[in-house]
Amino acid sequence: MAPPSSHRPRKKRKADVSGSSSNGTVIHDSGSKKEQPAFPLVAFFWPARGTSTSQWILLPCILMVVGLFRWCTGIWPYSGFHKPPMHGDFEAQRHWMELTTNLPLTHWHFHDLEWWGLDYPPLTAYHSWLLGKVGSLINPDWFALYLSRGLDSLDLKVFMRATVMVSEYFVYIPAVVICVRRLTRMHNINSWESSIALTAILMQPATLLIDHGHFQYNTVMLGFVVATISSILAGRRLWSCVFFVCALGFKQMALFYAPAVAAYLAGACIYPRIDPLRLLGMAIVTIASFALLYVPLLLGTAFDTYRNVPLPSHAIMPPLLSAIPFDINEKAWYYPYLIQLMQSIHRIFPFARGLFEDKVANIWCAVHSSGVHKLNQYSSTLLSRVALALTLAAIAPPCAIIFLKPRRKLMPLALTTTAWGFFLCSYQVHEKNVLLPLLPMTLLLATDGGMKPATRAWVGYANLLGCWTMFPLLARDELRVPYVVLTLLWAYLIGLPPCNFDLYLTSGSDNTLHWSSKVLHLATYAAMLVWHGVELFVAPPASKPDLWVVANVCIGAAGLGTCYLWCLWRLVDDSGILVDLGLAKPTDADVEKKKL
Amino acid sequence: MLHLKHLGYNSWETIYYQRATVIVSELVLLYALYLFVKSSPTTSKIQSHAAATSILLSPGLLIIDHIHFQYNGFLYGILILSVVLARSKSRILASGILFAALLCLKHIYLYLAPAYFVYLLRAYCLGPRSIYDIKFLNCVKLGLGLGVVFALAFGPFVYYGQIPQVLSRLFPFSRGLCHAYWAPNVWAMYSFTDRILIMVAPYLRLPLDTAAVTSVTRGLVGDTSFAVLPNITPRATFFLTLAAQIPALIKLFLTPTWHTFVSTLTLCGYASFLFGWHVHEKAILLVIIPFSLLALKDRRYLGAFRPLAVAGHVSLFPLLFTAMEFPVKVVYTIFWLVVMMLVFDRVVPASEKPRVFLLDRFSLLYIAVAIPLIAYCSLVHQMVFGVKYEFLPLMFTSSYSAIGVVGSWVGFLVVFFTE
Repeated sequence: MAPPSSHRPRKKRKADVSGSSSNGTVIHDSGSKKEQPAFPLVAFFWPARGTSTSQWILLPCILMVVGLFRWCTGIWPYSGFHKPPMHGDFEAQRHWMELTTNLPLTHWHFHDLEWWGLDYPPLTAYHSWLLGKVGSLINPDWFALYLSRGLDSLDLKVFMRATVMVSEYFVYIPAVVICVRRLTRMHNINSWESSIALTAILMQPATLLIDHGHFQYNTVMLGFVVATISSILAGRRLWSCVFFVCALGFKQMALFYAPAVAAYLAGACIYPRIDPLRLLGMAIVTIASFALLYVPLLLGTAFDTYRNVPLPSHAIMPPLLSAIPFDINEKAWYYPYLIQLMQSIHRIFPFARGLFEDKVANIWCAVHSSGVHKLNQYSSTLLSRVALALTLAAIAPPCAIIFLKPRRKLMPLALTTTAWGFFLCSYQVHEKNVLLPLLPMTLLLATDGGMKPATRAWVGYANLLGCWTMFPLLARDELRVPYVVLTLLWAYLIGLPPCNFDLYLTSGSDNTLHWSSKVLHLATYAAMLVWHGVELFVAPPASKPDLWVVANVCIGAAGLGTCYLWCLWRLVDDSGILVDLGLAKPTDADVEKKKL
Repeated sequence: MLHLKHLGYNSWETIYYQRATVIVSELVLLYALYLFVKSSPTTSKIQSHAAATSILLSPGLLIIDHIHFQYNGFLYGILILSVVLARSKSRILASGILFAALLCLKHIYLYLAPAYFVYLLRAYCLGPRSIYDIKFLNCVKLGLGLGVVFALAFGPFVYYGQIPQVLSRLFPFSRGLCHAYWAPNVWAMYSFTDRILIMVAPYLRLPLDTAAVTSVTRGLVGDTSFAVLPNITPRATFFLTLAAQIPALIKLFLTPTWHTFVSTLTLCGYASFLFGWHVHEKAILLVIIPFSLLALKDRRYLGAFRPLAVAGHVSLFPLLFTAMEFPVKVVYTIFWLVVMMLVFDRVVPASEKPRVFLLDRFSLLYIAVAIPLIAYCSLVHQMVFGVKYEFLPLMFTSSYSAIGVVGSWVGFLVVFFTE
């Protein structure tokens, strides 16, 4: 997913400064003058220190190892395995391959909506079509119309798991590799530490568990988002627009990031000087990308109109159609296209659904299910308005900062904060959506000081907590063992509780983690462990069968809320906005920057 | 779960339990390797560490124990423990008794017994200066120890009069020369030659045993009979194995050092794997694991070890055949080979003696061939022929691996006898 190489000549890379630790991976023992790895992941890379091991060996090894963990996660069951009548996300994805390969294009968004109707944007539909075509070559029974519903044979599972792997290795992995390389180069981090950060990011347990365990294609969307970040870091704003449209076109959930991306791009047109041409260019590229995204859908409609293929008999016209302020002539040539577009949008944005789905660790679910305040007494219109207002309030500060200070280095933090705002406050959130804030937050490991205790502790805390809030979902899918293995493995590699307490017990000059953070983290980790013990051995009271899940949601919402606040604080601090406002004294580093 | 009639019982709980026992019992291996590193001299600490890591992470153990399901990690743990104990003169007795216990756990280690026998005889029962200086007390101690171990293991069976049944289960001479998949040994090359001769025979006017043409094991269990080449009897394999072991045993008898002992163990493993009757491809670990302890001695040893590491692990691939397991075995093995060969290459000390030029080139070429071979056997063959000629990839894999194993055996023999 790399943008084609630019016309600029490549800069020669400076020799790696391998001896000195720039990023918190090495501890210098002042007593024995020896250097030690700061956490186990570094120890695994210890023999590759210095320039003796080429990236051409290191990178394939990393990709092999992370691939092995992904595939081994895939050996476990998936969501809806042997669970009639509706099965789960696996069946949904398989069904989309079935319907896109077998039905005319105009039926895709209308076909039997009760059985996992297609409710993702067009790129997912095209992706499903491609995979369905390939799969039908191998075994046509897998995607036979109607007959294949609820199919869960072993070879189908292998095929589907392989499609997730291949999609990920085509989109997400190259994007992350390039993005980490850009980030670390920007922050003057040597390539050895860059490889460590890359491994930590690719081993994120939440992504592995949801995509390869539960079964989804989130990494494709996340990969496009990473490609967006990467293009922004490289200063290729037009490419970032294209990639972001791809992300949106694959999963509407990428909207979590949209305000921050938009604010950055808008800001980049105003600071340091107003540049309307740049804005115009980006607007054209964005609109053109969206148009391109819908071209196959419209071409298909044209073809079906020409063939006189009617809509399915049970099709209900999209309600958005009646919301259009002018009269529509049903005989007009544009009518079928309008229906398709409206139906696509209607399916993508399910306003009719509830405030939250299942039990998710956000504010609404916590408030409602903890019994503090029951929300089902209000109408859903009111609730959605309140949710909108609160979300806007949560995302306004990060968006304002990135708009006023459109610096590339602030991008990961701005995206994280905005995504946390959405996750915690917005309407219709799934527990799986925690992946969205976690991704850019984990990218922080590849930034300056990213693996020093303060950042590492917070990034690790958010990841482990995020995984933990998904435990009820994973437990339903029979994924307890991979959950335990992958989260504990990550905690061990990054040096986090419950495997390692060095971050919280030692206090070196490097360790700038505030005591209040330490208390908060340790308390949450303790609560998580206790919760697991209770969930395993104590049955909830008969009157409140969901008690443990509710406890999980409340602790999770509180913890993830502090993650939002920490990210916001880091963003405010890094952007130097306080100095500008005269609320803080400039640090030495800032003065240095001014001079330069 | 343990009810005898419940064959094929496979609930999730059972799988969890049995897999967990494999992992827990492998702690023995971990402990043995820890002792191995601890007992090695400071000059070769790093090398021992690398060797120990390579054994612990061995794809052979992963494939056979954790995917296919056996307890080799545990058994090889005991073997290494016994080998490590043999390092110090004062613990040789314990080493011998531990090996006897190992024999009672799995009789495949009988193949290694000659090396133990000679080593214990020379280093423990006979005096260091002269072979006529017999230490009777040591002989009695050893005899008693072995007697107790075997009595404990076989006593109950003797008591119930089950010994003939036990023996017939343990030594299946009624089964064929080759196992279901051809283990990459001399007999694999022999069968491969035979298959080729069947095609060539009409032109050369060779006598053809037509009954055998149809019945030659095409990857099936059964009696192997050859169409052109003479048939092989169990007795012939036995004598061949012994003949291949004897030179090394003589050398061990003359210089009973720990190092020669481990080399002889390896050579005994080689001999039995290459010439044995009904050898299973899993038995390759009998060669790889003792050899790993030696491979980092110097560059010449490593040169002989490399083709073995590739061939041995590639030959295990046919054990796992489902699509789900395929990426795991291939990617893990490649990863292990890349990392371990790089590490070995970096830590191995230079050899005092000149290396054999040809051997190095041979091993490099050999390793390079592995990549297209794996690709062909696992993907291309299926695409081109479908399910037809199913024996072909198996035959290629085992013949290829056989060349590697035999090549590394010759290389190791050269190194061992020129030492």
